[in-house]
Amino acid sequence: SNISTRNAQVEPPNSAGPPLSGKVLVCGRRREMEDAAVIVPHFTQIPIVIGAEGTCDLHFFGVYDGHSGSQASNFCADRFHHALSEELATANVAADMEDNSEWKAVMKSCFLKVDREVGGVCPNGVCDNVDSSANCCINAIAPENVGTTAVIAVLTPAQIVVANCGDSRAVLSRGGTAVPVSVDHKPGSEDETSRIEAAGGRVIHWDGYRVAGLLAVSRSLGDRYLKQYVISEPDVLCVPRTKDDECLILASDGLWDVISNETACDVARRCLAHARRKYEHRRSEHGDDTACAQVAALLVKLAYGRGSKDNISVVVIDLKSGPS
Amino acid sequence: MTVGDSSPTELNYIAQYHHHSILEHQASSVISKRIRASVDVVWSIIRRFDEPQKYKTFVKSCTMRGELQPGCVREVCIISGLPATTSIEELEELDDEQHIMRYRLLGGDHRLNNYKSVVTLHAETIDGKPGTLIIESFITDVPGGNTKDDTKFFVETLVKCNMKALAEVCEKTSL
Ligand SMILES: [Mg+2]
Repeated sequence: SNISTRNAQVEPPNSAGPPLSGKVLVCGRRREMEDAAVIVPHFTQIPIVIGAEGTCDLHFFGVYDGHSGSQASNFCADRFHHALSEELATANVAADMEDNSEWKAVMKSCFLKVDREVGGVCPNGVCDNVDSSANCCINAIAPENVGTTAVIAVLTPAQIVVANCGDSRAVLSRGGTAVPVSVDHKPGSEDETSRIEAAGGRVIHWDGYRVAGLLAVSRSLGDRYLKQYVISEPDVLCVPRTKDDECLILASDGLWDVISNETACDVARRCLAHARRKYEHRRSEHGDDTACAQVAALLVKLAYGRGSKDNISVVVIDLKSGPS
Repeated sequence: MTVGDSSPTELNYIAQYHHHSILEHQASSVISKRIRASVDVVWSIIRRFDEPQKYKTFVKSCTMRGELQPGCVREVCIISGLPATTSIEELEELDDEQHIMRYRLLGGDHRLNNYKSVVTLHAETIDGKPGTLIIESFITDVPGGNTKDDTKFFVETLVKCNMKALAEVCEKTSL
């Protein structure tokens, strides 16, 4: 396949930096902060074409919404992008690929790896259910009832690869429209209920639909005691980048429970358009672009103002910035 | 736990200590587990009505009102992410000889009204070493919008999780 036949313009190898981005996280009306989020520009390199020399840099963005403790979300914040880098080093992924099956395999493998490391999946396959007497994972990083969501986005020159597990969400603003690029994993959804019931579990309406009446997400990393039902297998979407892409928003449900995709994208678009005119020399390479951070802060304030009772975490990526 | 899996002895214990008169709007069940630690070790942890967080991983903190004896009340704060935040619980019986504990929920922010629990410990030999059979039963009102089966599954999952955590703590102590 030939990259130059696409809509997207591919940046020359290792040229000027990543798209500008920023994040804001608040504890909000909760007692503990269990959300985490990361922006890691240039987190790894992949070949542009399989088998040929020449690599390009990839950029990593992630939001992790922890529950019952912050051990799992904090571990993901430290570790996830490194685990993905390790998986990519041994995979057959190149920037010019049209076949997305390699990316999907890499993401699935990465999520499983992190879930094993944090103590969600028992590496011996024994202690990760409540009926087992095995106790091999008692010293795991996450206690058996601590878990986290993970929504991650990897930017390549021509694609946005989104992998999601849980109810945090990624939404793309493109050509004035809000395009969700992940699907929330909620116990009440038909697909998730079927999957859980097929595995011998129950979804019970108990202060909202919950797995076993306890967990309000149907997929997560961690949660060893419910791992048979609350799997960490992500949904993966590879989105070709276009010149109409305005920005990408990753956020925890503290935002999405009270702000619609459309409202978030409207606000982000207008705020960024204004900031692009206002700030001429936006040079940040570390995920601390003032304009993006202002957009994230505005979204957080909006969510808080609308009564969000949760931790609120927002990552904003300006897709019109950086080389194009 | 299905009754068919239990030994005759276990069934006797259940009949003797874990009988509940279940009304139409209530749900009840019995859960048991074998722990590779002596009854003394297990009882020493279970009996601490004032410190459930020693093994119950859903408990964030516990405040006691009164001395550790029948009639005392504890206020339990629960970790985040669950359909409950607090529970107020009264100790009804604490028998150090027979290893029986009974308590009930008085209130708090959760959906289990009139919840009562009975926990008993029984000495057993497991693989030639001192072990404990723990039996826990409960009875509770079925909340509006839910079925008996929903309620049983919900509480059984919680109790099993607590028992697994208890076994881990006790077995570590017994090494
Ligand atoms: Mg949340």
